[in-house]
Amino acid sequence: MSAAHQGEHHSEQEIKYSTCYMCACRCGIKVTIEDNRVRFIQGNRNHPINKGVLCAKGSAGIMKQCSPARLRSPLMRKPGSERGSGEFVEISWDQALDMLTERLARIRATDPNKFAFFTGRDQMQALSRLFAEQFGTLNWSAHGGFCSVNMAAAGLYTLGYAFWEFGDPDWDRTKYFMLWGVAEDHNSNPMKIGIEKLKSRGGKFVGINPARTGYQAVADEWVPIRPGTDAMLALSMVHVLLSRELFDWEFLIRYTNAPFLVVQTPGEKGDGLIYRDEAGHPLAWDLKKEAFVNGLDASCHPALFGEHTTPDGRTVKTVMTLLAERYLNERFAPENAAKICGVPAGTIERLALEMAHIAFKETIEIPVEWTDWAGRKHDKFIGRPVSMHAMRGVSAHSNGFQAARAIHFLQILLGTIDCPGGFRAKAPYPRPVPAPGKPARHSAPNTPLDAHPLGFPTAPEDLVIDDEGRPLRIDKAYSWEAPIANHGLMHMVITNAVKGDPYPIDTLLFFMANMAWNSSMNTANIQDMLREKGPDGEYKIPFLVVVDAFHSETVHFADLVLPDTTYLERYDAISLLDRPISEPDAVCDSIRHPLLALDRDVRPWQEVLVELSTRLKLPAFTNPDGTPKYKGYKDFITYYEREPGIGFLAGYRGADGSKSLRGEPNPQQWERYIENQGFFQYHLPKGIRYMRFANQGYLEFAKEAGFLKTAEPIIIELYSEAIQRFRLAGLGLYDGPMPKERVDQERLATYFDPLPDYYEPLEQQRVDKDEYPFFAVNQRPMMMYHSWDSQNAWLRQIIAQNHLYMNRARGESLGFKDEDWVWVESHNGKIRVQLRLIEGCQEDTVWTWNAIGKQSGTWGLKPGAPEATQGFLMNHLISELLPEKPGERRLTNSDPITGQAAWYDLRVKVTRAAPGEEGVWPTFANVPPLPGAPAKPDVLRYNTRVKA
Amino acid sequence: MNPSLAVIFLTLFSGAGFGLMATVAVVNDFAIDGGLSPLRTAILVALALLLVTMGMVSSTAHLANPKNAWRAFTRWRTSWLAREGVFAVLFYPVAIAYLGWVFFTNTDRDGVALALGNAAALIGLITIFCQGMIYACLRTIRQWHTPLVPANFYALGLALGMTVLATSRVLARGHDLVLVSTASALLVAAAVMKAIYYFWIGAPSGTTLQTATGFTRGRVRLLDQGHTFGTFLTHEFSNSISPVRARYFKIGVYLLGFLAPIAILLLATRTPIGLTVLLAPVLAFIGIGLERYLFFVEAQHVVNLYHGRMPGPLPQMHPALRAHAADALSAGKPGRLVPSYEKR
Amino acid sequence: MRLGLVIDLDTCVGCHACATACKEWNTSAITAPLTDYDPYGKEPSGVWFNRIRHYEIGEYPNNKTINFPMSCMHCENAECVTVCPTGASYKRPEDGIVLVDQDKCMGCNYCSWACPYGARELDRESGTMKKCTLCVDRIYDEALPAEERQPACVLACPAHARLFGDLDDPESTTSRAVRERGGYALMPELNYSPTNHYLPPRTRPSISTSDLPRGSLARKVKEWVNRVVER
Repeated sequence: MSAAHQGEHHSEQEIKYSTCYMCACRCGIKVTIEDNRVRFIQGNRNHPINKGVLCAKGSAGIMKQCSPARLRSPLMRKPGSERGSGEFVEISWDQALDMLTERLARIRATDPNKFAFFTGRDQMQALSRLFAEQFGTLNWSAHGGFCSVNMAAAGLYTLGYAFWEFGDPDWDRTKYFMLWGVAEDHNSNPMKIGIEKLKSRGGKFVGINPARTGYQAVADEWVPIRPGTDAMLALSMVHVLLSRELFDWEFLIRYTNAPFLVVQTPGEKGDGLIYRDEAGHPLAWDLKKEAFVNGLDASCHPALFGEHTTPDGRTVKTVMTLLAERYLNERFAPENAAKICGVPAGTIERLALEMAHIAFKETIEIPVEWTDWAGRKHDKFIGRPVSMHAMRGVSAHSNGFQAARAIHFLQILLGTIDCPGGFRAKAPYPRPVPAPGKPARHSAPNTPLDAHPLGFPTAPEDLVIDDEGRPLRIDKAYSWEAPIANHGLMHMVITNAVKGDPYPIDTLLFFMANMAWNSSMNTANIQDMLREKGPDGEYKIPFLVVVDAFHSETVHFADLVLPDTTYLERYDAISLLDRPISEPDAVCDSIRHPLLALDRDVRPWQEVLVELSTRLKLPAFTNPDGTPKYKGYKDFITYYEREPGIGFLAGYRGADGSKSLRGEPNPQQWERYIENQGFFQYHLPKGIRYMRFANQGYLEFAKEAGFLKTAEPIIIELYSEAIQRFRLAGLGLYDGPMPKERVDQERLATYFDPLPDYYEPLEQQRVDKDEYPFFAVNQRPMMMYHSWDSQNAWLRQIIAQNHLYMNRARGESLGFKDEDWVWVESHNGKIRVQLRLIEGCQEDTVWTWNAIGKQSGTWGLKPGAPEATQGFLMNHLISELLPEKPGERRLTNSDPITGQAAWYDLRVKVTRAAPGEEGVWPTFANVPPLPGAPAKPDVLRYNTRVKA
Repeated sequence: MNPSLAVIFLTLFSGAGFGLMATVAVVNDFAIDGGLSPLRTAILVALALLLVTMGMVSSTAHLANPKNAWRAFTRWRTSWLAREGVFAVLFYPVAIAYLGWVFFTNTDRDGVALALGNAAALIGLITIFCQGMIYACLRTIRQWHTPLVPANFYALGLALGMTVLATSRVLARGHDLVLVSTASALLVAAAVMKAIYYFWIGAPSGTTLQTATGFTRGRVRLLDQGHTFGTFLTHEFSNSISPVRARYFKIGVYLLGFLAPIAILLLATRTPIGLTVLLAPVLAFIGIGLERYLFFVEAQHVVNLYHGRMPGPLPQMHPALRAHAADALSAGKPGRLVPSYEKR
Repeated sequence: MRLGLVIDLDTCVGCHACATACKEWNTSAITAPLTDYDPYGKEPSGVWFNRIRHYEIGEYPNNKTINFPMSCMHCENAECVTVCPTGASYKRPEDGIVLVDQDKCMGCNYCSWACPYGARELDRESGTMKKCTLCVDRIYDEALPAEERQPACVLACPAHARLFGDLDDPESTTSRAVRERGGYALMPELNYSPTNHYLPPRTRPSISTSDLPRGSLARKVKEWVNRVVER
């Protein structure tokens, strides 16, 4: 058929480049548009993230754009109707913003903390944070508290960077890749590209995961592990490495705090802190001088091992000695670890040795000159080509912070940090360890905060608590319950606000967060809390504002709905000041710009935020004469400078657009980005691509680019003195704030271990393991992202119902068979779901796909859609609080260090439903359609060849 | 395979029509039992044309885009379906000419009548063969990919035709042993042929999910078919029947399709039973209609393997085990043998 | 010329990117649209040219999950073409691509019966059979940049598990991959001679660890001999 391609209307088509937002991976897209409709979305071949490829979500963007779930205009809960009844009236933007401005202005003038602003899958957190800061409320965070704060915090308190957004395996060189836990929904395309690169080179891919699906499917070796025991597995491998002296001596001495001396005075103040000189320098034992020397001095020869007595009579040991003493303990021997992890001892030992072989016997070299922090020239980079990645599978446990640290320990001992073939940092990382910046603690009427609402505490003094030790934030982040809650505890906001603990609030604003459904633990109770009223008849949360582009379950509970645009309809900056998209070899950022004309009365949330800031006359948005500083979001991004020359977008700066990374604002910056296919990348010179924590060239470059304040080397912290300070506070041995309640003291003393250790997840410590024999976890299918894709007419054909998966042999031994309806019960509740028996599931684990279940009537689906009748959420089983203990206040079900929601700690029992008991339970009332909601077609024939 | 009524009726009625035409021609050729009267011939040929037309018309209901049906003859060089169409269409002028000749000349024994009758019969028989080959040529469906399929189509078409013919003779003369015996013999022959077929499709198939995916070293199980609900493929190919149900259906086929017609026809040769004899062809059509339903529903397309289904209703198992498994199935026990992943 | 695909089962992670990219391109391409039924209702379904099935091989813990994309194999002995009565189905002599002329198809489904691979799906709305075109409207479209003249599924595949090329040319990447990796065709016993091939998962030699020093567990930390390394 020679006429085969004649039908393509090239002359009527426009090609535009932008950035995908079907998930947080943020790939470059090349979009063909015909008659204001999307003809084709493909990956942008030139884009650093996806290099031309695109995942199922990305290609299904068309269906998101024509979703009947798209909100159409601002909505107000119908006066007189009950919250959650789904009765809304359409209002104008002016009405909506007047109402909100009036309310917020009143709050700001009295007690700004009464306004809580929490954002979900926000990719412009830097702007929403700036708004909160300028507003003066401490109560802001994004969704990291229930996503991956353990991962991020562990990395930032150990290496100065972390998995996913802050670091990547060196896919072009690594020979051994170990993937810990679920990773499918994040870092989507780069990881697939990378796995293929590794495999085509003959490298080995080891997957550690209770379930063998997704990436684990193509793993060369699958290690089915019991959920929540990753720390023990990693530390047992550390045990193997130590016991055979398989670690990188030079790396540990030069780049980590392994040779630093730690004071050993148990029961006394100062125990476990680094031994320092009067200037505060950490001390080490010099082997040549046989004396204590400044451990930061480039010319010293520090002992890695050893115990010494200080002139004042205190015992000190090197960090490495403590580490060896700890992990050489038989507790970590593979045969003992095997009992906890369910991984055979032989496998543990072999995996550790395989990595050691690759690191030390298959070392690679890149002959490039570089200079280290002390000015010493090197003629090559040495690579130990073992790399790792971990995400939520490790993160969403209440021992996830320490587990992630343990994984980093393996990498550090093998010397695979930011080296060729190893685990590489991505700009603006690495940052100093721990990262600078403390969380804001003071809020005052009509006054911006004096710091970011989120930061990195290194001592109890940094906590956001009052003089009595009570939390100052509504989510109790940075309180004794979650001292280094770097991402906040969004999952606690509703519960705390409804209880008025620590205080009641007035207005709660959620952006893109489905807190009334799959983003909350304990969904049904959370819905009840949103409806809960006080004795005065007023809602416990008086005013709930929901900003979203789609009709989510949370929209249903809003008092005011502000409709957002889709990612194809607005300007966005994916900024280095925010969640970076850099690659190891290049500093990158990118933009979105409107590709399609709006067909509904919706506004980009960023635009609305800038307008609200202007209306509220927030100082950063207002000139001294009271006039607005910025014409809108686009203008704001162009001209806002965090410090001179540093703005949201790093590319095409300077008046003529010739400057990169730092430079005065360029009025044509957006246009330059658009001309350059929507992204900017600055390729790092070869000499500063590796060992950046100690690479003088890089450190100086990073200082100039505003990534670092100084060009001091970044010292990798095996031993975390910051963590130890909190432990001392728990032990009553700290000069500074200390907790008063026994439970806080115990938690600090137990879990704030300066060296990572395994402890049983908190909830599991409190439930009867014989009664609840199964671990229960979630994974996300690669073709879907959070709850957004249920509405996608193509993606939901692939999966519209989830099952509970169980190991086949285990299931058969219990008398189960495929498609049985079963009850799944936890200490918190029960659900009825349909079972499937599979091989790829660890014997003690059941799991399901997350966020497939939906409330009937939401997300543009018709009543009776299988997402509501057959799909289910495991969330009902999970409590946001730990099981009650007599004489103890209710505690968050979160990591005791970071406040990470511990939604993977669940244990359940599974029993067969009675005959006739079919269909999912619980089910929820059907949500009525919103005013003006479009009809849902029975047949969809999307085709840009036919004029709309 | 999807047992759509359109294809069941097509093969059932047109097969019977062609079979009737053929038996009319043969009876007249050899003046078996004195041959047929011209009027009787005309009536039966008209009936044959009616049956063929019923089949053809119902087949168009099977087409999703019937406006292009006229194109269906163009690929007669390669496609048995096109050939069937060509011969089915050729049948009409010859059969109508025969009908006209017999009707208007009131003779069915002259050379023209014999020539036209035999030509129509031959075309009809070729059409039955083409129909059989439509199914038998498909390597994708083991239960069809056998010469037994056209053989069965012949046996069943001729048996049905002869049953109609014998019934008509019984109605006309009260009783007639020769044609009834012939019809009975053809029904018995068809029953035996069908038995051979049923036995044959019970034999194990070489193609399994292992060989279909190329993973022959371990057990292969479907984890997920990649779509929660049905697709064209599952709608078209995934029909199956439980062994227990199939056994009942087969008993029905033999009772209604073969035994009852023979019994009624034989009874009619002894006792006048009047119009009751019409039950013989009616039951034969019902019984063989059931047979045709089974022909489709028992046929398992290889693509079902990829959906984790067995190639046939428990074909690999020893009969004793099969009965056991069937009992388990009927008692609602493990569905692994016929997975219930399918939602439609 | 024999154009077709080679699917790498060693790297296919089962993400459905190929299937969705295919759906996206083809819903507005030469056999447009690819109708969806009940897209927001009880039993969403639709016409797709490429479907990914997921299998488990072996038994726990020695099991492996295999993701298995299937689309038209553009067979050398394309029985779907042989059996088509209308001439709607045809195989292009110049490149071996099997297509359905939408203007000729009468929707009898017979070709789909003849296809062992489930590659053909009827569009109930148009009443015509639709199938993978190997993006014939991309691969020869000179208005597209040369590197984009590939099937949409191949362009999209994030794991580069799909190769497109001429399997008649022994030096093409596809032919070489089949040769070097032991590529195989599905159900060869049916003798359809499919053009598309599958590359089996690689088997990796085990990593030797015998060259590592064997330390003694009994050794006490204080006995570690320090090495002199300049910081």
